[in-house]
Amino acid sequence: MAEEESQFEEFEQIDFLRDRHVRFFQRTLQVLPERYASLETTRLTIIFFALSGLDVLDALDMIDRNMMIEWIYSLQVLPTEDQSNLSRCGFRGSSHIGIPYTTKGPGVLHPYDSGHVAMTYTGLCSLLILGDDLSRVNKQACLAGLRALQLEDGSFYAVPEGSENDIRFIYCAASICYMLDDWSGMDIQKAIDYIRGSLSYDNGFGQGAGRESHGGWTYCAIASLCLMGRLEEALSQRELDRIRRWCIMRQQSGFHGRPNKPVDTCYSFWVGATLELLDVFQYTNFDRNRSFILSTQDRLVGGFAKWPDSHPDPLHAYLGLCGLSLIGEPSLRKVHPALNITQRAFQHLQQLQQTWRDSSGSCLRQH
Amino acid sequence: MSGVEETLNETVEVKEDNEFDGEVEDHPVDDYMADPTRYVFYRDRKDWADLEPVPQDDGPSPVVKIAYSEKFSDVYDYFRALLKNDERSERAFALTADAIELNAANYTVWHYRRVLLQALAKDLREEMRYITAIIEEQPKNYQVWHHRRMVVEWLNDPSEELEFIADILSQDAKNYHAWQHRQWVIQEYKLWESELEFVENLLEEDVRNNSAWNQRHFVISHTTGFSDAGVLDREIQYCLNQIRKAPHNESAWNYLKGMLQDRGLSTQPGLLEKVLELKETHCSPYLLAFLFDCYEDSLESSSQKENIDEEEQKISLKKALEICELLAQDKDTIRKEYWLFLGRSLKAKYGGGDGGTDALSEDPEASVPTSEPQELN
Repeated sequence: MAEEESQFEEFEQIDFLRDRHVRFFQRTLQVLPERYASLETTRLTIIFFALSGLDVLDALDMIDRNMMIEWIYSLQVLPTEDQSNLSRCGFRGSSHIGIPYTTKGPGVLHPYDSGHVAMTYTGLCSLLILGDDLSRVNKQACLAGLRALQLEDGSFYAVPEGSENDIRFIYCAASICYMLDDWSGMDIQKAIDYIRGSLSYDNGFGQGAGRESHGGWTYCAIASLCLMGRLEEALSQRELDRIRRWCIMRQQSGFHGRPNKPVDTCYSFWVGATLELLDVFQYTNFDRNRSFILSTQDRLVGGFAKWPDSHPDPLHAYLGLCGLSLIGEPSLRKVHPALNITQRAFQHLQQLQQTWRDSSGSCLRQH
Repeated sequence: MSGVEETLNETVEVKEDNEFDGEVEDHPVDDYMADPTRYVFYRDRKDWADLEPVPQDDGPSPVVKIAYSEKFSDVYDYFRALLKNDERSERAFALTADAIELNAANYTVWHYRRVLLQALAKDLREEMRYITAIIEEQPKNYQVWHHRRMVVEWLNDPSEELEFIADILSQDAKNYHAWQHRQWVIQEYKLWESELEFVENLLEEDVRNNSAWNQRHFVISHTTGFSDAGVLDREIQYCLNQIRKAPHNESAWNYLKGMLQDRGLSTQPGLLEKVLELKETHCSPYLLAFLFDCYEDSLESSSQKENIDEEEQKISLKKALEICELLAQDKDTIRKEYWLFLGRSLKAKYGGGDGGTDALSEDPEASVPTSEPQELN
């Protein structure tokens, strides 16, 4: 009996090790060993996970913001003198192509240099998190680069050279347009058509038409529609109710991404945030969700892993925190469920957008 | 064809390299053929001496810097040099293989390799063998599957695909990339014929394989369709059989509901009765949810009729609310709040004036969620 009781106490006392997670993200921002080589072209997304993670933890004060901001701007693919590369503009994931470091234009002509839609998205988010005013972002170039990536069927490539195309990059594109407050970067209707086409018979969304429904792609679909302001236009009430059902059935303890798959920490955010956007996250079981996420916490090095007794990584560490934030973990900042940045960073964006509108308004009044 | 494959301005003619992987030398070796197992840095290879390596430049304060070994940096410093000059040569092609081995997720290397495959008119059959081996090693990488798709398109030959994908699926029957590639091949080249059989075999092995159920729906919706009464009946029977074998299987229930949800869930002849039978011996949260959906469907369709049968409606509502209560309190407690919410919503919509007798709703007029915010310890 005593043993049972102490096990129960242990279960109750799974605590959230804030300081470990702060240090985990701080280390991530410094140096990673060579076994992380596969992350080279996506380093900007890793920075985003670490910065946004620190923001959620309210621990950005120890970051050298200006240094980070400069480094992020060095990843911007700027127009060349003759503007011949506009369709390739945006942000790179890293310096792997070998362009010499610079934060100023004009762009350098290079046969293989171009932005990547997920890096443009996380680059903009990261700048916002750091309090930057985006004044050095060449918005028109980014939007031109974005337009070049959209296909006839409404989905997006990641890069102008071509890549796989699917709903993930629609989400990146929608986020970019939302942040830049300019939807000329995409054909919204075509994107909506692709999203609708990705709705599966079982009422989740796949990566494209006919494909298996999945928590990550469902997030991309719903969050994109929310950012576009078209959720209830694109989907009927009946469809929305069915989607709510598919999503809420993903909870097993934590959440999984597909029926009959194991639970994984990151889906506490992908599915949780979708449920929040659909106004039914409040009907999930917070305790069991929390217990699962914390069971994947690495008590030694910090961060979270996809499963218990597995190695933590920046993505799961960040999304685990976001999952906890959704259920109201004290000491964590709230996260904007569609844009996946803190509400604090989101408010900074709103203020910025207001100044943009005010200044363009005043320009109009002058003429 | 995707992307912008740039045209040649000049070709650099270089003698073909023979490289052998192995131990790294501390000092330059002029003729590495003396010991072919010794790995030689590119910077020490005579036939690369014309090229100035390009290091990665992260500026004064790099962020998330990856600490590369000498070997790694050497390969990629020369990769960057080739890229800068847009060199189209055999030595460049050979280097891409080294670069891929070190980081198969670098999409620029793969793109450059495709440029070279075309510029040098390389043997695409050999490339198929190459990409087959890489995918076997790294089946969850986006770039490798995209590359394979490009080569298949160039060859216009899908003949190896179904077998190859089947092999990958035999190692992980739910690999999303593999299924996606499979759907692309089948749809592009109209290879529908044996796919239903393939799906059935996979479901024999694991009736809970959600990817296989999805594929079943994919095949049928693109071939016979579900509107054919014979097909629909066959599929309903198939589902019910699988449910009898393994009742706790969300995939089977999702498939059943998915087929019928726009065809009248509550009006399939005999189905409700069969499900009520199964409820006694093969119950599950999914069965109960399906029943709830049937009752809701009958409430909706009957409320749209000219003469609403109020008695029938009251019975359906009562049964639906009982299911909610059963799920919330006993059979699917993790979703308790959700089932209670559904019950309240249903009652608000169809409850009528008499207030009802069940204990579910505190406020019969409420049509908005009234759940208490959950407290964390």
